[in-house]
Amino acid sequence: MELAWYALLGLFFATYLVLGGYDYGVGLLLARRDSPAARRAALNAVGPFFLGNEVWLVAAVGILFGAFPTLEGELLSGLYPAVIGALAGVVLVTAGVQLRSRPTAEWARAGWDRVVVAGSALAALGWGALLAGLLQGVPLRADGHVDGVTHLFTPFVAAAGLAMVALVAAHGATFLTLRLPAADAAPVARLARRLVPVAVTAVGAATVLGLLSDRVRGAAQQPLAAVLLPLLLVAALLVARTALGRGRPGLAFAATSAALALPVALVGAALWPWALVSTVEPAGGLTVADAAASGPTLRLLGWLALPLLPALLGFQAMCWWVFRGRIDGRAPVYW
Amino acid sequence: MDTLLLARLQFATTTSIHFLFVVVTLGLVTLLVGLQTAGFLTGKPVYERLTRFWGQLYVINYVLGIATGIVMEFQFGLNWSGLSRYVGNVFGAPLAIETLVAFFLESTFLGMWIFGWHRLRRGVHLALLWGVALTAYASAFWIMVANSWLQHPVGYELRDGVAHLTDFGALLTNPTLGFAFGHVVAAALLTGGMLMAAVSAWHLIRRTPDFDLFRKSLRIGLVTAALAVTLVQGFGFAQFGPVGQVQPTKFGAGPERDALVAEWTARFGPGDYTPPALANVGLGFMILIGFTLGCVWLLLPLVWRDWVIRLRFPLWLILLAVPLPFVAVILGWIAREVGRQPWVAYGLLPTGQAVSPVGPGVMLTSLIGFSLLLGTLAVTNWVLLVRHAARGAHDPALGRPPEPETDPRPRTVFA
Ligand code: HDD
Ligand code: HEM
Ligand code: HEM
Repeated sequence: MELAWYALLGLFFATYLVLGGYDYGVGLLLARRDSPAARRAALNAVGPFFLGNEVWLVAAVGILFGAFPTLEGELLSGLYPAVIGALAGVVLVTAGVQLRSRPTAEWARAGWDRVVVAGSALAALGWGALLAGLLQGVPLRADGHVDGVTHLFTPFVAAAGLAMVALVAAHGATFLTLRLPAADAAPVARLARRLVPVAVTAVGAATVLGLLSDRVRGAAQQPLAAVLLPLLLVAALLVARTALGRGRPGLAFAATSAALALPVALVGAALWPWALVSTVEPAGGLTVADAAASGPTLRLLGWLALPLLPALLGFQAMCWWVFRGRIDGRAPVYW
Repeated sequence: MDTLLLARLQFATTTSIHFLFVVVTLGLVTLLVGLQTAGFLTGKPVYERLTRFWGQLYVINYVLGIATGIVMEFQFGLNWSGLSRYVGNVFGAPLAIETLVAFFLESTFLGMWIFGWHRLRRGVHLALLWGVALTAYASAFWIMVANSWLQHPVGYELRDGVAHLTDFGALLTNPTLGFAFGHVVAAALLTGGMLMAAVSAWHLIRRTPDFDLFRKSLRIGLVTAALAVTLVQGFGFAQFGPVGQVQPTKFGAGPERDALVAEWTARFGPGDYTPPALANVGLGFMILIGFTLGCVWLLLPLVWRDWVIRLRFPLWLILLAVPLPFVAVILGWIAREVGRQPWVAYGLLPTGQAVSPVGPGVMLTSLIGFSLLLGTLAVTNWVLLVRHAARGAHDPALGRPPEPETDPRPRTVFA
């Protein structure tokens, strides 16, 4: 029961990183000195999906609160700086994307675009730091509270945050390759091909720093998973690069999507059976079973989730289906 | 500085901003459903134009609802980890249900509705708006279930100091839920109706084009506001009974209060178990506002032969009254939330025990940072709303038909 909910939590957060990840990637790419029309087109490629993407985060936190209340409190307050960074980023992107086209003046729109760029960078940094913070363990004391926030400031966390920024940028460019009008796709595909090696380098650097860190090695309960999954991530990125080179943006997008989902699987698998590993007291961590809500709550939520999940996924799929394919210049644009 | 105070300040600021936007969301979406359905059934173009104009304002307003809502959701874990630790088994359930049942679908539907004009069949497009409205109401309902549980914890048992769910049904029949939900929904309709009437009044005062359109929305707004204000008053007074009964310390002195304070002193040790005086000050003003707004009924007869418009001063009155519902909703929540202090979960979990053990520096940074961020965004959002309201209904960006041309490149002339 706990395992099913833990998997569901992971699924929602990973899907958020995949879907929200291309929002942030497209957001970062607004930093290029493109024409206003090109920036507008990039945002409208995301357009109809934007609201439905972000809500995976809202639902993930809902599941976290409902099914793993204890984890919710310790995780969010224990990794406070990473969480508020990500949160501020999410808020800035939400407001920036939806409001940027409300003013008509070009300077005002450019200003909002900068807000989106900054927000996207913050969000990616924050989520990367959060996942890294989990991987290196937290100073959870016997009374069940995390001590201070300085434990978060390590080279590994910084490298993981930057790696996430590079990942979403490559993912966003790949998404645009898939969605922009065919005539505009070629330059963006070249950009994506250049960004993938950057992401590989960043992920590699984070992995090396992680392997060198005592805390990460100490926290990893399943060393095999902790080594295999980063390798898989790099492999996914290499597939993406090849696919981009051969003009197969769909395959490339699937590969970068996998690259964004894998870090979540990595954290879940490497720490299992723990949800939070304590760096100060060996037995002081929080196991997935301990973190879960009690039986009646999980059963209630389970009866609810069973019929609901197909409906949720169905309506999301409807959204992807209705707005599938490349955008054309004639479609009404709103963002 | 005291982390508890900082955490409370942050919660109060964020929720208040959140609520200023979601009352409008909840009120406007109801009116929009009416407008778009009328357009679908009658085929009259004026309804489509009304839907696009008010829909545009609705969507702009929605942005801050989401932005502040996400911060709210995280705040429980960031600043109130004790809440999830001690009562999360019970309190977390309605919140989880809310996100899955309501928000998830609401946002998915809304994205399709915004981008679905001229692309989806009209019936499907209308159904999406109905979906948005129903899920918005569902979200308000489930958040009220959660809040009512904090007001009056039911359906749980304590084991090792942690609350476990025993009876979910009791959460739904909570005496602090029903009337409060009715009151909140009616307040949202009142706010939406007043806003619609006031924007229309402004256009009629300025004699902008589109007289017929704004005349229509003035009428719709006034009728909605009148019906809603009566419901607000009814549900409002109805709340005193059940709330006073389960929360004897909320509305003032009495033997029940003294008995309860004595019981708490025995169980939790001596302390100040009465809410700050501030709590009930606002309640009086809110009731005053409730009666003042009740005067919209006096304007209704003037709708006949457009006397409201011809006399002009009623239009000014409507315009000036717009801030009142917003002030009232905040005062109402202060009465409800501050009135249950010093408890997070009434009689079960003291506020001081719920706060996260993070340092005051971190908490202060987060308080200042998020208050500035959300405050700035809120003001910007209102400026944009006012501008778009003033721009009129001739060509909102929302629902604009596609360009009949073949150049595949997106054009910048939109919006
Ligand atoms: C347009 C807004 C508005 C208006 C005009 C009124 N209210 Fe209200 N009131 C609210 C909006 C609101 C609210 C923000 O929606 C609250 C906060 C929590 C709740 O349940 O509703 C609230 C709370 C609230 C409470 C506190 C409940 C508690 O502590 O649990 C009471 C007793 C009343 N109201 C009573 C009234 C009466 C008798 C009114 C006038 C005749 C009135 N309200 C007008
Ligand atoms: C303190 C508790 C609250 C939390 C944690 C919370 C959380 C949220 C979140 C996360 C969202 C964004 C959902 C999305 O992405 O679409 C949201 C929006 C919304 N909230 Fe709240 N909320 C709270 C209080 C309330 C109250 C009291 C009401 C009304 C009675 C309300 C009504 C709504 C509505 C209608 C929306 C959707 C419309 C919009 O975004 O403007 N919320 N809330
Ligand atoms: C959107 C409308 C709401 C407003 C304007 C509002 C207002 C407030 C205010 C002013 C406080 C500070 C009280 C004090 O500490 O002195 C507070 C606290 C709090 N409220 Fe609300 N509230 C709203 C909805 C909710 C809902 C729906 C929930 C639960 C789901 C909730 C849960 C809490 C909690 C947990 C606290 C912090 C603990 C405390 O100080 O009591 N609030 N709220």
